[in-house]
Amino acid sequence: MATAVSIQGVTKTFGSQTAVDRLNLEVPKGALYGFIGPNGAGKTTTIRMLMSIMFPDSGKLEVLGHASALEAKDKIGYLPEERGVYKNMKVAAYLKYIARLKGVAEPVIGGRIKQLLERVELPDVGGKQCEELSKGMRQKIQFAASIINEPELLILDEPFSGLDPVSMRLLRNLIVEEHRRGATILFSTHVMPQAEEICDHVIMIHKGRKVLDDPVAAIGGRQDVRTIVVEPFDAEADTSVLSRISGVESQRARGNTIELQLREGTDAATVMRDALGNLRVARIEIKRPRLEDVFVRLVAGDPDDAATLLSELAKPDAREVAE
Amino acid sequence: MRKILWIALREFLAIVWTKAFLFGLLFLPVMIGIVAIFINMMDNDDFRAAGRIALIDPTGRVTAEARQALDSNAMERDLAAGVRENAPPAFEGAAESAADAIEALDLGPDFTLVQLPSDADLDAEKAMLLSADPENALLALVVVHANAIEEPDPAKPFGSYDLYTAPKIDERESGAVRSMLREAIVDLRISAYGLDRGTIDRITRVEGGQSITVTETEEREAFEGLNFILPMAFMFLLFMGIMGGGQGMMTSTIEEKSSRVVEVLLSAVSPMELMAGKLFGHMSASLIGMTIYLVAGLIVLGSASMLGLLDPMLIVYLFVFFFIAYFTIGSFMLAIGSAVNELRETQSLMMPVMIITMLPWFLWLPISRDPNSTISVVASFLPPISSFGMMLRLSSTEPPPAWEVLLSIGVGVLGVYLVLWFAARVFRIGILLTGKPPDFRTLIRWVRMS
Repeated sequence: MATAVSIQGVTKTFGSQTAVDRLNLEVPKGALYGFIGPNGAGKTTTIRMLMSIMFPDSGKLEVLGHASALEAKDKIGYLPEERGVYKNMKVAAYLKYIARLKGVAEPVIGGRIKQLLERVELPDVGGKQCEELSKGMRQKIQFAASIINEPELLILDEPFSGLDPVSMRLLRNLIVEEHRRGATILFSTHVMPQAEEICDHVIMIHKGRKVLDDPVAAIGGRQDVRTIVVEPFDAEADTSVLSRISGVESQRARGNTIELQLREGTDAATVMRDALGNLRVARIEIKRPRLEDVFVRLVAGDPDDAATLLSELAKPDAREVAE
Repeated sequence: MRKILWIALREFLAIVWTKAFLFGLLFLPVMIGIVAIFINMMDNDDFRAAGRIALIDPTGRVTAEARQALDSNAMERDLAAGVRENAPPAFEGAAESAADAIEALDLGPDFTLVQLPSDADLDAEKAMLLSADPENALLALVVVHANAIEEPDPAKPFGSYDLYTAPKIDERESGAVRSMLREAIVDLRISAYGLDRGTIDRITRVEGGQSITVTETEEREAFEGLNFILPMAFMFLLFMGIMGGGQGMMTSTIEEKSSRVVEVLLSAVSPMELMAGKLFGHMSASLIGMTIYLVAGLIVLGSASMLGLLDPMLIVYLFVFFFIAYFTIGSFMLAIGSAVNELRETQSLMMPVMIITMLPWFLWLPISRDPNSTISVVASFLPPISSFGMMLRLSSTEPPPAWEVLLSIGVGVLGVYLVLWFAARVFRIGILLTGKPPDFRTLIRWVRMS
């Protein structure tokens, strides 16, 4: 498959601090990639290097087949994390200005602005000054500006930050629409459920290094075979019987569920059958780890825990966990 | 190139399409007018020197003569004569009317002169200078020297007078007292020699002769002040255009950085395209402002029939040197704008720029008076002040030879190249950085980095 974005061994340092450390990643054309990681992980620096706003100290970048995004800026849409508008400019004039800078042909600009304002559900704000808009409205306009050139590659840095749930849903739909149109999308986010819901693939970086590079389906499909989640039918039931099942190392309550941690080598199916025999169960399943779990463990600063989880999750060829 | 033009157009319209631009254009001439009116009002206010003046006059004649001088209209006559002599040729008619009006006024001081006996107690009279009683308080105490009018020994100079004044006397009041005493003593000395004051005045007065400028094609009435004013006017136009544009560029860059719009722009254009667009946009706005002032100046010259005094090539050179100075100083200001986060952080970095732009004002007089001196020549070949230096020389009485002008342009263009090179590197790094504002050492490090 053709590659939209290719990063090979890219390193970027600021003084003594390494923001991005020998990073490798590839985004195929037409894919929808989530780019996740805690604050300060190096996401924005990587995106800025992709956009040729910054340049790497070493390594190689390729965007839409070009050695630099400068050669393909008109084919790229970009919503930066730190985004702004000209406060004294009218919304339509601002979008027109960005469209011109993005090389959109003059005859189509007017129609495209009208269409985009309708898509972001702000059809009547064209004549308003940007400073008159609320933060959420401004963010929608900024998103509209990022797709005004119908980009082949759309890079979104934290597009959901600061949005209410309704606007978040609208933006998510717009991203999906752009993906369906054929755009390759790479977006960074802290909103893990959004990433899980709409992304084909996620890349997670931590301290400038890639720690996960997997399809979302693969992450969801991987089972943590040493953890079983049990939801008792009766919330008041005595669940201590579960810890007496052979092979159960420990149990811990999580809300209205119980997590059973199994000893190494224990057959999970046998434990599940025994649990059903000892307790009336509403739901019992092998724990499916969520992206958020990995993310939280990384941010919480428990590298061993995160590494363990990752080692169970990630394929050997995609793993680049720090030694 | 197209993107640069779109950026330039937006920057241009963002400046010109505002009330602030119109206000800015009108502000300067209006302020000059207000200051002129204010000064005029200050000069023609109702101030009139007044008060009691005591004289210890051993000659017994100075007091009486001073009283007589006060009653005459000597001051009005002097003022009117000054107006007539100093009026430019084009305004002689108006000056004559003004002088007549001044002569009809009563502007002289309202002094009450008190003659004290020669043996009066000096200390007691001095105390009256500090008296709180307005009826008896003295404004000044004059002790006339015995030999103030007649010289007993021709080898020695005339005597004069000692003037004691109240501590808070207005300088205009003390000036009026001195003027009164001078008039009285001179009149008495002339009489003592049997001469006539009127005759002496006529003999010593030489009317200002007509000054005519001879050119290769014509002879015309000279306006001597023009050679003084013209260099300053051209330097002012340059200064206004460059500082206006540079300041605007710096401010708009800081605003784009602080409003975070800059990263959106950099996703569509390269830093160099952004910088070039800003330079051209603000330059166009500055050119409009400069041209409006230039045309206004030409209209004023034309209305006074003095348009012929201006060499049209000066206007061509004005634009040439504007471009050079704008790209040199403006680029530097743009780089500063890209490196800081707020306007107040520009202060330390702007200091050298301000010193550079103030230098030509210090050099204005030396260059205007001696356009071919060493300092004048050096100033016209030393970027970034070379544009100002050469413009001052070109508009002076002795313009430099053509090769010097061309060399100055060449040096200026080289300076533009170097400053643009420096500014571009600072801009590329500074535009995305936030945090502690850099110093000059940091800027140089950025240049090396990029």
